[in-house]
Amino acid sequence: MHNIWLIARREYLERIRTKAFLVATILIPLLMGGFVFGSGYLASRTKSSAHIAIVSSDANFAADLKRELQTGKNSSMTVDLLAPSTSNGDATRATLDQNLTSKHGDLTGYLWITPPSQGNTRPSFTYVPRSAGDVTTEDDLSAAIKNVITREGLTRQGMGASDIDALMAPVVIDTSKTGDSRTAFGAAYLLFFLMYMVIMLYGMNTARSIIEEKTSRVFEVMLSTIKPDEMLAGKILGVGSVGLTQIAVWMLAAAALGATPFATNLIGGGHAPISATQIFFFVIYFIFGFLVYSSIAAALGAITNSEQELQQLNMFLVLPLAFCFLMIFVITRAPDSTLAQVVSLIPFCSPLLMNFRISLTTVPPWQIGLSFVLMSLTIVSILWVASRIYRVGILMYGKKPNLPELLRWLKYS
Amino acid sequence: MSIVELQHVRKAYDTKIAVADLSFTIEPGSMFGLLGPNGSGKTSSIRMIIGITVPDSGTINLFGQPFHRSILKRVGYLPEERGLYKKMKVMDQLIFLGQLHGLDATTASKRAHVWCEKLQITEAIHKKTEELSKGMQQKIQFISTLLHEPELIIMDEPFSGLDPVNAVLLMDTLVDLRKQGRTILFSTHRMDQVEKLCDNICLIHNSHLVLSGSMREIKSRYPVNRVLINFTGDDSFLNHPTIHSAKNYGGHAEIRLKEGADAQALLAAAIVKARVTRFEVMEPTLEEIFIEKVTETSQASQPAGVHVNA
Repeated sequence: MHNIWLIARREYLERIRTKAFLVATILIPLLMGGFVFGSGYLASRTKSSAHIAIVSSDANFAADLKRELQTGKNSSMTVDLLAPSTSNGDATRATLDQNLTSKHGDLTGYLWITPPSQGNTRPSFTYVPRSAGDVTTEDDLSAAIKNVITREGLTRQGMGASDIDALMAPVVIDTSKTGDSRTAFGAAYLLFFLMYMVIMLYGMNTARSIIEEKTSRVFEVMLSTIKPDEMLAGKILGVGSVGLTQIAVWMLAAAALGATPFATNLIGGGHAPISATQIFFFVIYFIFGFLVYSSIAAALGAITNSEQELQQLNMFLVLPLAFCFLMIFVITRAPDSTLAQVVSLIPFCSPLLMNFRISLTTVPPWQIGLSFVLMSLTIVSILWVASRIYRVGILMYGKKPNLPELLRWLKYS
Repeated sequence: MSIVELQHVRKAYDTKIAVADLSFTIEPGSMFGLLGPNGSGKTSSIRMIIGITVPDSGTINLFGQPFHRSILKRVGYLPEERGLYKKMKVMDQLIFLGQLHGLDATTASKRAHVWCEKLQITEAIHKKTEELSKGMQQKIQFISTLLHEPELIIMDEPFSGLDPVNAVLLMDTLVDLRKQGRTILFSTHRMDQVEKLCDNICLIHNSHLVLSGSMREIKSRYPVNRVLINFTGDDSFLNHPTIHSAKNYGGHAEIRLKEGADAQALLAAAIVKARVTRFEVMEPTLEEIFIEKVTETSQASQPAGVHVNA
């Protein structure tokens, strides 16, 4: 135990003193903050910037649509109304097309409304955008048109304006009794991406730090004093705590940023609070997940002798994660199904999926306990095997160990 | 009780036999040299002694008991392939390695400082390991194996890569340690270096034991028939009947006497015609014994009927 502590402490102190650690700890939150605020800022701008022209012979309909587009919930566009010249519509169309193709044109696109040939059918709509990829404007248009048509229809049925407004108001569903599924979902996603990032960053670091002894030939000194499993365990804890330290710094930075008025403004401030139990399980499962995946990484480091070889094997870290990601969708729909119960007990998935289930439904305590037991067993057994591989791999020099030899090795150290 | 005892130890890697039937014992307080050319199985033997690998057959006892991890606290090991954490500062590194051997940080630091002073590398203490010269790194590794004051010190090629001054410094250190009662086992392929150091040796060649025993006893097995003469003047005494063969490097002659010949007769003949400034009767060097032994065994092992000129 003492040796594990020594190895872990050395690993931790050496890593935390490097410039790379400082740079990553400070720069990544800055970049992420920049990204979040930048994209928020951009999103708030794109909403209003569209400037479109509507060509319609039905002036009433066009005016309603204009009002909807300019003052609607999601859009504040600038709208020009044009009537097609009766004799020859192609002239108007040509002018608009020219505006769109010209660099100095101010239009985002134009909407051409062709009146219905028969009385009861809908008019047909053609939208010509400046950029074919401008999906948002198109969606906004389609929603606005639908609203206007509904309103017209209701008015024709003899309904008053206030009744129509009441009818068209958005529906709010109260989920406060069962917990906000969006928050649960958000937390699961957050956990997933955090895990993914940290495992790719620090899992691989664990593997690399295990290769370090092989390339710098320190292993022979180390192995003449300590057991390989003590070394691997120390490495996992040491590199792991570096990762946890860094994440803690980032989390604190995020919390500090999130508390600023600017951020609450941008996000909208409407976050349902995450419950204390959720946070508790989040942390516990995060640490367990970290350890499970680090021990896989340690095994990879034990098998390989160089970074290049390691790179080829890192899919063994990614594949279980990808599997968990797919399972998230299955579990969302039926968190208590047999499938969900089984996969959330698989040790490689428990950190993500059991935690996800806990935030969605009431998981029986024995399942939670079982998942912890299984994960602990997995960590220990992976380490046990990995440390043997490590030792045999280093010192067998190309001789492939046969079974009786392997058994002797396992008994030995 | 022997400190180290090997009995019929055998180790094979894949198709190559690294060590074949090796047996020797090391007595407490002695300096033991494991000698042999490159690739003869020295490192493989040492790795088995400190339990990094296990022998395929045969037994190894340390301090009179079969290998157990707890014994390692009483052993200091310097591997042939030196390795230190490159980015670590020297003192941190020494303290860390000392702690792994069961010292507390203050004792480790105190001893490390004393040793650094002894080996004249105090200026390196606050540097990173990667900034140091190879010789310096080697001294640091040397220190790291001694911090916990082990009873048995095992060093694999401790002098390779060192300049003569530092090699002598380390040799003197080892001699001091032996005087304090430590047992020392070291391997080397430079046989000339160790003649004056070792009490006992074990010579291996092609993974086979060629020769083992106490240095004095081995040497006494061979006749004292080497003569070294420094002289000026007539060199006709080199044709004296007692001489088996002689090499004359212009006033410096290396002579091998015939079996049973008396060196005194040669000296008498020499001073008649030449002026002798040095006359030394010597035992054969370890290297000569080794070469003789190896050619002997390889001739003996050659099956009859393959002589090309027959």
